[in-house]
Amino acid sequence: MISKKVALEVLNEALSTGADYAEIFLEDSIARGVSIENGKVDTSSSVTATGCGLRLLKENRTVYGYTTDLTRNGLLKLAATLKKSFDGERILTVTKFDLVKAKNRNPIIRSYNDVSREEIISLLRIGDDAIQELKDPRIVRTISSFSYHHRDVTVYNSKERWFRRQTEFGRAAYMVVAANEKGFETGFSGPGTQTDISYFTKKLNLKDIALDTVRVALQNLEAKECPSGVMPVIIGNGWGGVLFHESCGHPLEASSSFLGLSCFSDKNGEMIANPVVSAVDDSTIPGEWGSIDIDDEGNPGQKRQLIKDGVLVGNMIDDFNGRRKNMEGNGASRRQNYKFCPTSRMSNTYIENGKSTKEEIIKATKLGLYTVGFNGGSVNPATGEFNFGCSEAYIVRDGKICEPVKGATLIGKGFEILKDIDMVANDLAFGQGMCGAASGSIRTNVGQPTLRISKVFVGGRGGELK
Amino acid sequence: MKYDKFFAIAKEKGIEESELRVSTSYALNISLFHGEISQYTVEDGSSYTARGIFNGKFGSASSDVYNSKKAEFLVDEIVNNAKVIQNEDPAIIFKGSEKYHKINTFSKTLGEISIDKKIETLFALEKRLKEIDSRIVEVEGVDYSEDVTSISIFNSHGLKLTQKLNYYYLSGAVVAKENEQVKTAYEIKIGNDFSEVNVDELAHTIVNKALAQLGGEPCKSKKYKAVLAPEVMAAFASVYVDHASAESVQKQSSLFIGKVGQSVASKKVTIEDKPLQKGNVFSRWFDDEGVATYNKAIIKKGVLQGYLYSLTTAAKDGVTSTGNGARHGSKIGVEPFALYLKPGKKSQEELFKKVKDGVYITEVQGLHAGMNGQSGNFSLQSTGFLIKDGKLDKGLDVITISGNLVDVMNDIVEVGADSKILLGGNTFSSVIVKKLAVGGK
Repeated sequence: MISKKVALEVLNEALSTGADYAEIFLEDSIARGVSIENGKVDTSSSVTATGCGLRLLKENRTVYGYTTDLTRNGLLKLAATLKKSFDGERILTVTKFDLVKAKNRNPIIRSYNDVSREEIISLLRIGDDAIQELKDPRIVRTISSFSYHHRDVTVYNSKERWFRRQTEFGRAAYMVVAANEKGFETGFSGPGTQTDISYFTKKLNLKDIALDTVRVALQNLEAKECPSGVMPVIIGNGWGGVLFHESCGHPLEASSSFLGLSCFSDKNGEMIANPVVSAVDDSTIPGEWGSIDIDDEGNPGQKRQLIKDGVLVGNMIDDFNGRRKNMEGNGASRRQNYKFCPTSRMSNTYIENGKSTKEEIIKATKLGLYTVGFNGGSVNPATGEFNFGCSEAYIVRDGKICEPVKGATLIGKGFEILKDIDMVANDLAFGQGMCGAASGSIRTNVGQPTLRISKVFVGGRGGELK
Repeated sequence: MKYDKFFAIAKEKGIEESELRVSTSYALNISLFHGEISQYTVEDGSSYTARGIFNGKFGSASSDVYNSKKAEFLVDEIVNNAKVIQNEDPAIIFKGSEKYHKINTFSKTLGEISIDKKIETLFALEKRLKEIDSRIVEVEGVDYSEDVTSISIFNSHGLKLTQKLNYYYLSGAVVAKENEQVKTAYEIKIGNDFSEVNVDELAHTIVNKALAQLGGEPCKSKKYKAVLAPEVMAAFASVYVDHASAESVQKQSSLFIGKVGQSVASKKVTIEDKPLQKGNVFSRWFDDEGVATYNKAIIKKGVLQGYLYSLTTAAKDGVTSTGNGARHGSKIGVEPFALYLKPGKKSQEELFKKVKDGVYITEVQGLHAGMNGQSGNFSLQSTGFLIKDGKLDKGLDVITISGNLVDVMNDIVEVGADSKILLGGNTFSSVIVKKLAVGGK
């Protein structure tokens, strides 16, 4: 998009007032999407993102700006604006760029740029037709959608590194609204991947996924309201990992942890969880939704052990926030697009397999809740207070899964919950989500095996659990 | 005109009618942390969203750069996207409203105040936050943001509309700690008249919010009389009023189907869509399709007055657009621009007195996870206080509130006089709800 010569000129202009680091982030991306509503193609869209972000650092200070004017003059103007934030002497001159080499674990095999809209529509129809064929009068609205992205990013920085990263990812989503005389309920499924479109036909059964979405919506129409109170809760595998993502993942990002703003700040080496808990953030899993080969600062993706046998051992670190602890980044610097200043973020974050089985956990639970579907949640990293909503849940009685309930929200404090996880099964699975934080909305995988929390507060409208 | 090329290519490639929405934004964000500017951000961005009618169907595409190559790209994508559309929605590019009630949302003086003065204000705020009380153990951050946005609509009928808006917000966030209990608080001041900023008052509001929560514990799980803070009422009402969207009604997924002229809330509740509100920096005098906006009651004394319409949804029902066409990605959806809850006469203190014993809910978290907007059922992590003998008592630690929006809206027995313009432009006051299920211990 710009020559190396211009990149050198812009970085050196930016560094002329004493910044100790400068970085150009160029992006030329396209996102397309198609949706089918009630069986008919309703939208088809194309959105491009083309621009440049320029970041300057000096000790613990950040200056960031972006522009869509990618001419030499446009970029020099941006550099001239941003450098005014510092008033020192130049300490650094960039003379060359060396290419950063990283393993390509997420190659583009068949680009989405070569896939027609018609092919995407046919793919979606595998699931959508199955829903429409049910002709169930309780299903009042259906939206099936597919979004696919081609991201092309080039970074030049004052560590004399440069790299170009092209990534593609696609996500299918089925949403169903069901209604009866009692009201409305919804169902949602949204599998995604960084491998190509063949994943959706070869690895997934979209028909089953779509019909399962209907099953959840219809089940919730008849389900009783979830009881409220403190109870043992069994969290299902896969999407259940959103609990760990919210309650522990965010507070372990260097952006809060290293600033002393997290409930886990300065606790490395301490036992913060039950010894049955080990957790990882791994951006090196080939093709997984949250994987990255190389981060926005030019550090390769890594597998980061966060908790080992209950002991806090690691964090998600970007170079900038790492400065506060004299640590290098470990490949966790990410951003939504050129409009966002990057920071430490999660990738594929999960609790590792334990020694129990799902069946043993259910059998060992006399009275509690078993949750298998989730809507997402949020956390306050300073207090550790988190919440997440359940879209599919059941009461467990005397070691057996009993009636479905709806409307459960789990709340608590992350540092307490981690200690209360008392059983972890061996059926690790992932769920794909979009995580929103300071550097925008990014792809993240959540994951875990089935596990049990001995006591957690459940909010619901169904009175006391009996 | 700068955009003639787009309209010319569109015509040449068989697009019957076309439209270009141009939005440019220049923003400045400054953050302080531990006595120094930790982040300084300058954003200079644009967005060009084009749509056109090809073979009777809408196609759309958008880009954040405009040049002749991109104009060609936008047109090609409109055609390719329109070709696969199967819905039978009427596709309309608007010729223009007879009259537009222009409202001034741009303050020249805001840009004239020096950056140094704004940075000085941030330092002053951080200093005050630190010194008011020793239990404030950390100032998480103080931020100043300023945004200048211009929104324009051009179309092949010759319509040309431009509105310029600017505003700032100043915010602070603190961490309070006492006996191992940690609580946070945050407050924001929004406007486009910088002379209104009162650092001392803002600092005290933030600190008091944090300190008041210390010493809290969960309350007994049961139904309470409750006062909902303006922010909480706004969160609830925004989800509820979405059901007045003609699109939701036409797609059989609204709680308000067949309810026009009927009661959908307590008699105390009047909610308007007030896009032309003076003093609201988020006011909008035309919608995203170029239709003139106007103030209107959605719910008046509890009775649903009508649905909100865009051009397409209005054509389907044989009515005219209410100026509520709002762009959602590639599509025009329907939504209110600025909700306004008609205030009552009692101050917040008088509301507490009237409740006598109950709870005051100041915040709800995780709305995307704990609120089922479709059914209105909710179970939400909340922050608040007990009300005892008509006065605020201790804080509530780790509680949920749960119920259904229809019940909450019907259970409102009083609306307060403490109207507040919130981020995004909605204006709400506190309300009393006669019963609300609170989960605690």
